[in-house]
Amino acid sequence: MNKLNIAPINQGKIQVDLLDNADGLTVKLVGDIDMEDPSLLLDPFFEKVHQGMVAGKIPFVVADFQGLTFLNSSGIKAVAKWIMKLAMLPPDQKYQIRIAHNKAITWQVTSLPTLTFLVPGAVKIQ
Amino acid sequence: MAKPDGYIEIRFGPRWKYISPARADAIAMATSELLENAVKYGASEDTHCIVQAFPDTGVIQASVTNQATEKNAADIRALYNKIMTGDPLEAYITQMREAATRTDGKSQLGLVRIRYETGADIQLDITPTHQVTITIIVK
Repeated sequence: MNKLNIAPINQGKIQVDLLDNADGLTVKLVGDIDMEDPSLLLDPFFEKVHQGMVAGKIPFVVADFQGLTFLNSSGIKAVAKWIMKLAMLPPDQKYQIRIAHNKAITWQVTSLPTLTFLVPGAVKIQ
Repeated sequence: MAKPDGYIEIRFGPRWKYISPARADAIAMATSELLENAVKYGASEDTHCIVQAFPDTGVIQASVTNQATEKNAADIRALYNKIMTGDPLEAYITQMREAATRTDGKSQLGLVRIRYETGADIQLDITPTHQVTITIIVK
């Protein structure tokens, strides 16, 4: 278990876990998100991560998409919803989401950079 | 023979050796989004998909047809009119921000994502009986 005590998602083709690393935390997404409403799984998970980041005053979290072979638009909505939470935070509670992506996967190259436009400064592509 | 309740029909044509993997991936993403919506919002089991490549012009065309209700047909018309206006990236960002506030389980991001990420022309045809066909044309 990670330092925020958030349980992983392991359902069907989807694995999402929060991992401790040397610098802080990594949300690692693996598999294929093409289900009808991934928000049912992802929204509660991202909400817990968000609350933990704010409460722990953790400066950034890595969102590692490198093992995710597909993310449908409903999944993009869930990620966008997480990012938009950062727009509501006062400056002293803000943290950054650093996206790690796989340049060999076409959708990651085209989809993930668009997330940086949602909330200025909140998301960085690594 | 009668069709079962659920089925997938796949037809294979010639190998697409003249299409780059990146373009093929983009078309696959677009077709997946269209099919997902067609099945999710369809009013019957009949959803048709055809993907064609035209080597002479380099054009790839994908069409997905389903039977919608009158309301869903009107909704897709309104969404199409909205997301086809203005700059594709701006439209995508606007739609993502709106999607983040939705509580009805819908994202309404599929078409705008296709428009931005593939650069495709997107055509919408709705018959008087509410049969909906969305065609993407990638040049």
